Amino acid sequence: MQPTTARLARSIWKGPHIVPLPLARPKPGQRVIPIKTQARSATILPNFVGLKFAVHNGKIYQDVTVTEDMVGHKLGEFAQTRKRFSYKMSKNK
Amino acid sequence: MPYILGTNFLETQFVKSALESFYGVGPKVSQRLMARYYIHPTAKIGALKQQQIMAIQEDLSNMTIGNDARRILKDTIMRLKEMGTYRGRRHALNLPVRGQNTRSQIVTARKHNRIVDRTHG
Repeated sequence: MQPTTARLARSIWKGPHIVPLPLARPKPGQRVIPIKTQARSATILPNFVGLKFAVHNGKIYQDVTVTEDMVGHKLGEFAQTRKRFSYKMSKNK
Repeated sequence: MPYILGTNFLETQFVKSALESFYGVGPKVSQRLMARYYIHPTAKIGALKQQQIMAIQEDLSNMTIGNDARRILKDTIMRLKEMGTYRGRRHALNLPVRGQNTRSQIVTARKHNRIVDRTHG
């Protein structure tokens, strides 16, 4: 795996930024309830793989399904906080 | 005209510039290589001994340079994009990736921050 910029920025002695999250694996057959969280800075650990998160982007909770590639990144990297600018013509001129 | 890794160089060219013409070899690597074989920083290709050329060639062939280095860069960017990260999106939009302001002056980003970097391609 490639070292990410997030990992390069952080001292090794601190270890990854671990946030206590209610990780409950859904039983097969049950409906998957995403883990709702505002901890955008939480590092994705190997035991997150396959879980579904609802990550807050400042307004709403966006669904993020963790894959193997995402390990080492932060949850917030996958929930966009900005909307692209699009010009809307105003009614009253 | 000596060949280094299949490329023909003029005898009047500086060794430093010849080495740095390979993608993935910059000032640091070229300096280290030349120091290893006692080549002066301003030496020219014509002044090299055959033995030195062979040694440099062997060192270069063991490094990830050229198209291998380009492919690694491309794969990393593609990985970021396919995962749906913010960085990957910024690459796809040709915008600054590391939080720079975009109100003005993003010429460099427009040029380089692509999925496939054409200037290094």
